[in-house]
Amino acid sequence: MTFEALAGQTISGISLGMVWFLIAVGLSIIFGTLKVLNLAHGSLYMLGSYTCYQVTTSLAPLAGNFWLAVLLAPLVVALVGGLIEVFLLRPIYKAEMLYQYILTFALVLIIAEVCKIIWGAGYHSISVPWPFKGSVRLFGLTFPQYNLFLIVMGAVVFMGLRLLINHTSLGRIIRAVTHNREMANALGVNVPWVYTGVFMLGSWLAGLAGCLWPPMSAVTLGSDMAVVIDCFIIVVIGGLGSLSGAFLGAIILGLTTAYGVLFVPKLAVAFGFILMVIILIIRPWGLLGEPE
Amino acid sequence: MGRIALKAVGLIAAVWFLTVFIFLTPAVQAAEKPIKIGFIHTMSGPISMYGIASSAGAQIAVDEINAGGGVLGRKLELIVRDDKLSPETGLREAKDLVLKNEVDFLTGTISSAVALAISDYASKAKKLYFINIAQSTQMTEEKFHPYVFRFTTNATPYFGYGPAIALAQTFKSKKIISLGWDYEAGKNGLKQFKEKYLELVPDAKIIDELWAPIGSTDFTAQITKIANSGADCIYLAAIYGGGELAFTKQAQAFGLYEKMKMVQPSAGDIESWSNWKQGDPNPKGALTTCRYPFWALKGEKNAAFAKKVLEMTKLEPSYGSLNAYITVYAIKDAVTKAGSTDTEKVIKALEGMTMKTFVGDVKMRAFDHQAMMPTWYGIMDVTPALPFPHITNIKQLGEESYHTIDQIKKIRGQ
Repeated sequence: MTFEALAGQTISGISLGMVWFLIAVGLSIIFGTLKVLNLAHGSLYMLGSYTCYQVTTSLAPLAGNFWLAVLLAPLVVALVGGLIEVFLLRPIYKAEMLYQYILTFALVLIIAEVCKIIWGAGYHSISVPWPFKGSVRLFGLTFPQYNLFLIVMGAVVFMGLRLLINHTSLGRIIRAVTHNREMANALGVNVPWVYTGVFMLGSWLAGLAGCLWPPMSAVTLGSDMAVVIDCFIIVVIGGLGSLSGAFLGAIILGLTTAYGVLFVPKLAVAFGFILMVIILIIRPWGLLGEPE
Repeated sequence: MGRIALKAVGLIAAVWFLTVFIFLTPAVQAAEKPIKIGFIHTMSGPISMYGIASSAGAQIAVDEINAGGGVLGRKLELIVRDDKLSPETGLREAKDLVLKNEVDFLTGTISSAVALAISDYASKAKKLYFINIAQSTQMTEEKFHPYVFRFTTNATPYFGYGPAIALAQTFKSKKIISLGWDYEAGKNGLKQFKEKYLELVPDAKIIDELWAPIGSTDFTAQITKIANSGADCIYLAAIYGGGELAFTKQAQAFGLYEKMKMVQPSAGDIESWSNWKQGDPNPKGALTTCRYPFWALKGEKNAAFAKKVLEMTKLEPSYGSLNAYITVYAIKDAVTKAGSTDTEKVIKALEGMTMKTFVGDVKMRAFDHQAMMPTWYGIMDVTPALPFPHITNIKQLGEESYHTIDQIKKIRGQ
């Protein structure tokens, strides 16, 4: 086991983790405040990826078309999220949790069909944008600049959200509603709009991830399901509703997968699930979550 | 009295005409009754390009044969149905075609699950079923019965023996690492690749076998391990579509294409590139197989056929179209040889028959009813000649890329 092999797996584990954090954080935030487990989170990610593809293709000759798409596509997904929250989720908050799951699952099917109707059934490609098209040498490994960019973006998003939640008045309102919605309501906070805002924020984050990851992978049907399962593993490990938990959970999953592939490749596909089961047994509310 | 006699004569005349009519008509109708081919395929949805191209190939053959007088004086008729990628729907259409339309033969489809359902029904209904694209070896090995024939390659040349022989004839890599999606096609593909390659290059080693959950598109962890593994070649086990694109991008960004040889069995399929645009990533330099490299094959008939399929469907000619064309001509040859459409006679005529096609002579192996369809292999590249990435330096493989009869006997437990 050379130092280089270990270092290489570590950095690839961090890359995996940061990408997963970007994808999963929206799910965690929505659950934290609204107590809704949005099964359609992966679908919003996928919608973001298709929208990003559409914008980059439509603006194709323009330089910087990708970065414009990163600006626009998450806003589109946030808007869709807002419409979903106001018109579909609001009426059923009072109902059992089961109805929320059925509704968000129905959204999974609907969004997938809409994507197929608009963009067809084949897969599409978004190119890695300038200025991250090249590679660097790290610990004897050729490492893509774009993955380094994603690691930085993961950190930026994490810190930005922490700033928002912990150091702004808007964040205080969100925390208040998360902690005790009746009390917040009694103190004059417009709880329904906070809910809508947080759902839109979570959707925006899903859409952002949908722009940032596909240049290194693909825009394809089925990415909704592929992504949502990993998201659930991460929020279970880290603790539903905890921002730091999502970050920690993602890094742990990333490193576990990377080291698993290195040392025990045959079992590597199962590691995420094994980890999730262990956490559920010894600390079911997650590493940084709060017991009910 | 006269009126009664008139009525009697009229009645007798009517009965006489009716009787003659009844006896004459069947003979007349039999001479004109067409030979019906029931064509079931996935005609809608994400992978409909295969079904559409295949039905075009079959229709071209039917039109050519009918223009030349048909088969035994009878015209061929193609009836096309959509299985919607569902075994239940495919089975229902097969029953409908056999019982209501009274087809003489069934053919199709792409999904092995659907094909297995149809093949099972065909064995019970004692109707001939000609597989068009479905690759699972089960249908001609474990689940074989005399009413099924396959006019396409199967998973052995596609994922296993084909790439193994190709690698042994080109780079002869010694330290191979595999990466696959964790499902049956991946596991099986690797198993067959290993057994053939290690037989041909005995001093080679598979130094590791890596897996990712099926459908996943982030191979970063596996790629960094591969980069540090000292391997000189990667074999991709049944990762296709969006997953293969993701792998290609990541592997290129991590410099793997410069460091080692890439064996990517699905990359040579032209259907993978239907949304490809110039400048998009592609697995340039990868060793892969292709089941109908129409741009590289010689002969006017090939060029005319490829052009016709493109005209009819606006799609590049998939190997399904080639297979379907060959199947219809095989029906013509077998029925002519047998002198009738009688199922048992046609089976006898097909077994061991050599089909003279515009891609060469193709033998229908009697033991497993598997046509020895060729597989071509080459190195992926992008050239101005074609609008999609394709293989170059093309070589052809034949019977050697299939399981031998002895191997099949073992699989069947005989």
